[in-house]
Amino acid sequence: MPVSSAVPLLRVRELGITHDGETTAAPASVSFDIAPGEVVLLLGPSGSGKSTLTLALNGLLPQAVPATVTGSVEVDGLDTQATPVAELSTRVGMVFQDPDAQLVTGTVLDEVAFGPENLRMPVAQVLARAEEALRRVGLWERRLENPDRLSGGGRQRLAIASALAMGSPLLVLDEPTANLDPAGIEEVYAALAEVVAAGDRAILLVEHNLDAAVGLVDRVVVLDHDGFLVADGSVDDVLRGRAGELHAMGVWLPVSTIAALRLRRAGFGLSPLPLTPAELRAALEAEPWPDPAGGSLPAASGIPAPGSPDDGSEPPLITVRGLTLRRGHSEVLHGIDLDIQRGGFVAVVGANGAGKTSLIQALAGVVSPPKGTVHVEGIDVGRADARTLSSRIGFVFQNPEHQFIAHTVFDEIAHGLRRQHLPEEQVRMRTEELLRRFGLASKAASHPFLLSGGQKRRLSVGTALVAGAPVLVLDEPTFGQDRARADELLSLLAELNREGTTIVVVTHDMQLVTEYADRTVLLADGRVLAEGPTADLFADDALIARAGLRPPPLRRALQGLERHPELARVARLSDLPGASTAPSRSQFRMDAVEPTPIDPPHAAHPELRTGTSGPHPPAPRPRTTGGVA
Amino acid sequence: MTDTGPLSAATAAHSSFDPYTRRVEASRVRFLYGLNPLAKLAAPLPAMALLVFARDAATPAAFLALAYALLLVGVAFTRRLAAVLFLALPLSALVIGFGFALWTDASKVDQSVVVWQIGGWTMYGGALEVGFATGLRLSAIVALTLIAGLSTTGPDLVRAAVQQLRVPYRIGYTALAAFRFVPRFGHELDVIRQAHRVRGAHGGRGPFAALARWFGYIVPLMAGGIRHAERVALAMDARAFGAHPDRTERYLVPWRVRDTVFVLAFWLVSAALFAALFPWGL
Repeated sequence: MPVSSAVPLLRVRELGITHDGETTAAPASVSFDIAPGEVVLLLGPSGSGKSTLTLALNGLLPQAVPATVTGSVEVDGLDTQATPVAELSTRVGMVFQDPDAQLVTGTVLDEVAFGPENLRMPVAQVLARAEEALRRVGLWERRLENPDRLSGGGRQRLAIASALAMGSPLLVLDEPTANLDPAGIEEVYAALAEVVAAGDRAILLVEHNLDAAVGLVDRVVVLDHDGFLVADGSVDDVLRGRAGELHAMGVWLPVSTIAALRLRRAGFGLSPLPLTPAELRAALEAEPWPDPAGGSLPAASGIPAPGSPDDGSEPPLITVRGLTLRRGHSEVLHGIDLDIQRGGFVAVVGANGAGKTSLIQALAGVVSPPKGTVHVEGIDVGRADARTLSSRIGFVFQNPEHQFIAHTVFDEIAHGLRRQHLPEEQVRMRTEELLRRFGLASKAASHPFLLSGGQKRRLSVGTALVAGAPVLVLDEPTFGQDRARADELLSLLAELNREGTTIVVVTHDMQLVTEYADRTVLLADGRVLAEGPTADLFADDALIARAGLRPPPLRRALQGLERHPELARVARLSDLPGASTAPSRSQFRMDAVEPTPIDPPHAAHPELRTGTSGPHPPAPRPRTTGGVA
Repeated sequence: MTDTGPLSAATAAHSSFDPYTRRVEASRVRFLYGLNPLAKLAAPLPAMALLVFARDAATPAAFLALAYALLLVGVAFTRRLAAVLFLALPLSALVIGFGFALWTDASKVDQSVVVWQIGGWTMYGGALEVGFATGLRLSAIVALTLIAGLSTTGPDLVRAAVQQLRVPYRIGYTALAAFRFVPRFGHELDVIRQAHRVRGAHGGRGPFAALARWFGYIVPLMAGGIRHAERVALAMDARAFGAHPDRTERYLVPWRVRDTVFVLAFWLVSAALFAALFPWGL
């Protein structure tokens, strides 16, 4: 580890940033140094100003992004407010979240050469730098290809190579894996590990996916919710020593650490606090099961997860029989058979290109399935018109903005009701009710595009539900979002689910799947590889591997645990001992939403929803809104 | 590297790669790839401008033949080329020809030949002649633009504009970056249309409903586009774009003797054709 007394490469002093048009500074006041070669992780809850801070490090802010800056940032002795961005670019290389927004040219080689060319380097030197950078991230062999042909992880490695080619001693990465699938995340961290191993660059990393990042980091800097510095120290001091405090602040911790905190509550010692799956596993193997006082598993992990009605007496809400779907010239789904029970929370997972999105688009009629293959509440999706469909099944696209069609939030919701030719008075009542329910009442007159990200997402869920659909289908709803917002959305979905709405969701985030979904559909190459209770599927490591997926971090820690076979099958945090104490309802923490096994079984919920399951859906109903009764 | 590619000392050393991803590997006979894009644009320009005023069929036919000859020799013969030259262009010439023949004011044309008579309506030979002259004229102009269009990549055109026309590189390379937006926007538009269809936005048929529908796509498309452009701009700034008055050019698109020869020869042939066929039906 580099000596911290070395001359700092980066000096941040009492930095406060207020974006133009905002009133509060985020960050508010932050001071820290980075020495050459040091790897620093910047943490903080959503809204603490981490991304804003990174933009100030190479002068983009305030030079390209208008903002008021107090305090100072010095790189290599240069003041970043006064030195042109172009000059700073040789000191600070940047990698942003969206790999597509960093591509400028037509080939991988040209892309990496772009920066050095701007610096007017001689051609030979440009090519030498490009080659070195591409070899470091493992893309040299693909230098002639169009960047579009790389995977998401490949494009982000290209962005890292492009930053390396600038020759800057400091590399700043702002959530580099937020837009990637698990395979892409692994690729990016493998490339970063190479850079760290070479030791010639300092790195400042903003990242929510700590499970991948924590192994590379020397030091951790933490901001609090108001944008003040609360911790700056080694990984041991900050992450291990103050984990509980950070967790309470809303800072994301590695899943293994959250699990360990829970296990400690159950009486395990687990000291020092594990940060990675390997550490958690080693710590558990080294320790006996604590005294009975700590309690055992909340229930055997094989219990039917809440919300999965296994009585089998009720016909499934969605039936799929022999669904084959073509896209262009290729068949993307081959003879899918699937039942989805009423009240379930179903995750559809699979590797890239497995047909996840095609499947849920066919379920919701976004893409018309062949007649007779998909039925929702007895309605043939292949034959139904759009209006009938929207009262049966709601579809939420990845980007909520794509779905907005009206000029006010009120009209956005009311649209679905007006389509059913309800009297205007009833439209108004039901719309207002739903806006209140989703915390959007004060925004009724706003333009949908002016809402915050979280509000937009809630509105898009509301528009999909207002017509009374008992099923909500979501395509990668957490893609590109930070964990706090992802968790807020999942909490909302879990709440809707408890009230009886059936949820079908496609996602890459395996830990999220295991935490929330009671059933999982595993797709591979356009076929259903397996379908069943989430805990059972994820306990079968061979099956997960066969689907081309990585087990979620908790599984990696616990699978095949020899000393505690009771834990070896656990896949979700809430199934750990120590989890069932004082279920919190905070929306900021992954372990916050406690599936409460005491809930009435979901078989009871259809009664709550009789309004939507009747044979004449468009008839005016006294109920307020389907699904959120 | 293809035999036609511009070489600088350094790219010659790394000659195993071809910087132009979309360039067609072709033999030396396909000479159009080896010319400077600006030469290929400048050569047919006077002819295209004068053709606008021609009224006969022979002048555009002659230039159509010239363009076809150049394309068939100078561009690699692919299925796409065949489709353009032997399907798309002739068909559009026919359609435009008939369209203009119908549209022409019958009282102002030569009425000596009657081609068809349906009831009280007569198609005169003169109208047909005017129509097809127009169809040929438009086809000839399009065919002349194809000389550059089918043998030039966008990046090459931008590089030539920066290197020979002294277009500021900040503008040229920003335009180059914008090429990448096109497929992204196409995809985004597809998703937006899908989403709006699911919501049942602006149902109904007819041009007004369609117009309303398209108007509804604009806001989300623009919002996404502006955000994306801002991010790209930040990423380019972070890599020193615009730092200096010029930047290293790894790919030179030089103006060589052959370019001058091509342009002058084309102009000479154009002048000869125009002279021989004067007064072009005016």
